[in-house]
Amino acid sequence: MLIISLLLNGLVLGSILLLSSLGLTLIYGVGRIVNFAHGAFFSLGAMSAVWMMSFGLPFWAALISSMLIVGIFGALLDWGILARIRNRPMVDSLLLTFGVALFITGVLYESGGRHVQILTPPTWLNGTVHILGVALPTYRIFVSALAIVLAIALLLFLKISKWGLRVRAANDDGEMAACLAINRNTLMHSVVGVSGALVAISGAAAAPIFNAYATVGDKILILAFMTVILGGLGSLRGAIVAAYVVGMIMVFGEAYSGGQVALLVLFLLVMAMLIQWPRGFFGEGRTE
Amino acid sequence: MTTEIAMTSQLIDKKKSTRQTWIRYLSVGVIAAGAVIPLVLQDAPFLMILASQALIAAIVAISLDLLTGNIGLLSFGHAGWFGLGAYSTGLLSQHLTAEMLIVVPMGMIIAILVAWAVGYILVRQIGKAFAILTLAFSQVLYALIFVFSHVTGGEDGLQGVPIPTVFSIQLAEPLVWYWLIYVALLASLFAAFYLRRSPLGKAWLGIRENTERAYFIGLNVARLKLISYVISAGMAAMAGGIFVLFNGATSPEILSWFESGKILMYAVLGGIGTIIGPALGAVVFTVAEHFISSYTDAWLIYFGALFIIIVIVAPGGIAGFFNSGATLRDTTPSGDKS
Repeated sequence: MLIISLLLNGLVLGSILLLSSLGLTLIYGVGRIVNFAHGAFFSLGAMSAVWMMSFGLPFWAALISSMLIVGIFGALLDWGILARIRNRPMVDSLLLTFGVALFITGVLYESGGRHVQILTPPTWLNGTVHILGVALPTYRIFVSALAIVLAIALLLFLKISKWGLRVRAANDDGEMAACLAINRNTLMHSVVGVSGALVAISGAAAAPIFNAYATVGDKILILAFMTVILGGLGSLRGAIVAAYVVGMIMVFGEAYSGGQVALLVLFLLVMAMLIQWPRGFFGEGRTE
Repeated sequence: MTTEIAMTSQLIDKKKSTRQTWIRYLSVGVIAAGAVIPLVLQDAPFLMILASQALIAAIVAISLDLLTGNIGLLSFGHAGWFGLGAYSTGLLSQHLTAEMLIVVPMGMIIAILVAWAVGYILVRQIGKAFAILTLAFSQVLYALIFVFSHVTGGEDGLQGVPIPTVFSIQLAEPLVWYWLIYVALLASLFAAFYLRRSPLGKAWLGIRENTERAYFIGLNVARLKLISYVISAGMAAMAGGIFVLFNGATSPEILSWFESGKILMYAVLGGIGTIIGPALGAVVFTVAEHFISSYTDAWLIYFGALFIIIVIVAPGGIAGFFNSGATLRDTTPSGDKS
């Protein structure tokens, strides 16, 4: 019984991580930037959903508007700040996104993020569902379903749209893509925007579970980082598998040995993984 | 063609020597200023404590520069080593002896052993994965404090670290502490400059400039990177050990990623790779933080904004101001450009 319940909870955490890690992977794949501000995007998404609800918007509208807010913010951020350091050394991009993370966290602290804010889901999502004899809150099912639908939508969009074609080309071979008149600079605006929107909606949708405060995204950032390392930096399908692996490890670790030990277990596993398969599950990780 | 090459190399030599001269002047100035401070602040014990904390921050900044400046690897978890040093030294002094010359080196040895084990895997990753994993590892250390909260005090922090002794003489005077930390800082500075000039330092710079080529001429890249990582962690742990004995207590917050960000800020503010720059950056930053945070709560916003502006506009930091724009780029590590 406990195992099934844990498996389902692992699925929920995995789905939340899935949206965050897909965004990280895309930004890395196209721009070769590791976005340290991704956790701050998550918090920003959760907080903007809280703000929107306090303006009287219904729950679904709050989800969508937080997605739009952070999406536009991400695109503007890339246009205004990240674009300034495109051809600089790797160190600068890491430092810059780190500075952005500090800045967003600071702004969130000043606008009500010091205290834990509770987001209440609509009443029809309250209650529990019985799956395989285990009672699971309906809301958790909703979050995983939403995340999986969005992830599939993103993958399909990457597969069939012109934009997706460009992104995949820039991801596979940036120089060749540039020769084929794909403007990586403008493409990056949309990629950061889309990634920001995805992580924001996962933050907003997870807010009734994790609550909303200025640093709620910090833990997600660490877990998402572990996910992309496990799956191989820049590998989309690696990230999908790794998100659920990390979700399961965290949920089972927390259940059997307490919350803080789970992170240690995860880290040791990632280390062991790196010795044997340094390029992730599918051997697709970048080495540059 | 040959003359052209000769001219270019002459030009580079000239640029390099002006840079080194500036670093030398700056170093002498900073060291002298550090020696004068206690004379000025003698009657203000609180400011003496602030000055001592600034010097501890300077040691951490130098330790980060040993890694980032020498070999181009960026550590986002340096507060982890500082914190590991602080906690192990603090616990040792509680349970073993208050003799500073025993517990601080022991704290360093613990950090060095851990850094060796973790670094063995970490340094074999590409620069970006390394940065991510250092952040993750510092979070693991942070989590461990809560796992062993019956020993470490958990949320409340490590309390009641005894007043340390040096050769059985108790250290209580702020002035004595200041000189002690000042000597530790000087030792770190000279160690860093010495390493930079040594064959080991040259090999490090070779790896920083072009890892592939360094590998092809037969340098053991992974081992050299590991040495740099371990030395850097050991020095940060020394600063942590001195900090906990000086402070008498510590909280788990010194391991948070925000603290790691501050240490990076010291180096970025001062100019990565100049050794004296990060030390100066740490002092300026610590003092500025103290005075500005008494005016405003929104410290993090300004801190983040400053970080962004410096990285975009002045990647050479304070040390960059003393240089022309052309040489400025030499001082930042190139890492893997992509």
